[in-house]
Amino acid sequence: MISAGNDIVCLSTINAARTNQYKFYSKILSDAEFPLYNEFSLAGIPFEIFVWLLWSVKESAYKFLQRHQPGLIFTPVKFVVTSLQLPAGLQLTSFGLPQLTGSGFDSTVAGIVNYDSFCLHSRSLLYNELIATVINGDSHFNHITWGIKVVDSDDTEKQSLEVRSFLIESIKEVFGEGNFRVDKNVHGCPVLVKNGEEMDVPVSLSHHEGFVGYSFPLPVL
Amino acid sequence: MTRQEILDELKKVIAPYTVNKDMLNSIDDQTDLIKDLKINSANLVDIIIDAEAKYDIEIDYDAADKMVNVGTCIDVISERLNQKI
Repeated sequence: MISAGNDIVCLSTINAARTNQYKFYSKILSDAEFPLYNEFSLAGIPFEIFVWLLWSVKESAYKFLQRHQPGLIFTPVKFVVTSLQLPAGLQLTSFGLPQLTGSGFDSTVAGIVNYDSFCLHSRSLLYNELIATVINGDSHFNHITWGIKVVDSDDTEKQSLEVRSFLIESIKEVFGEGNFRVDKNVHGCPVLVKNGEEMDVPVSLSHHEGFVGYSFPLPVL
Repeated sequence: MTRQEILDELKKVIAPYTVNKDMLNSIDDQTDLIKDLKINSANLVDIIIDAEAKYDIEIDYDAADKMVNVGTCIDVISERLNQKI
């Protein structure tokens, strides 16, 4: 299945005390996912970061599937993360950059998430300030292009414009110059339009407080 | 509680999570929490938890599924309140 799904969580906005309450995290995590925290605990990663990492994986997976299932409703506990592998020696550091872009991933949290009969793969970048996740239909991410950018506005309209502009910069690097814009289809999924025609390239956008991000698969040649 | 009473309280629950404060005053059953009120999806769990506390009810994930707009939020809260009687 060709699609795109990403998510960003700005960690300065999460309520750690609330996240650690059972009544909160039980609406995100299913019972089967609790053992996944063991490895994160040993690495010194707080439980609230783990909860929001799983949220990010699940939300990204939802976006990935929703493009093909427009009526899909996001119920976090129905998206079950069955595997999360931490890179060896992971220590959270500051993002420390105005923006970061790439294709594929070197050192990230690699996950598997299941929904219904679908099995999807995730890659998540963890920093002190944010969690950024990208989803793919298989474990090969070299053709998945992604970007994360710091924004200085908490106005959602401005963030929306900012993330579109950020994505189009990257799109032009891949597809060359053209009159690109990002619209939303009738189901609310972002679609890429070039010179007035919708392109067959699924894109995913995310913004949360001080960060925006995108992902899209490079076309198979 | 009537639907209007639930709506009045629901506005207070939603208020901390929307940046679209102007629209909050004119919401109706069709108002979408994410598309219209610009509530970040990461805050939807907060709204459910706050609604549970406000109305002293429990909203399981099947019911939470339905809470996509103001009307369905009121439906779920009303249903749960009636179960308490």
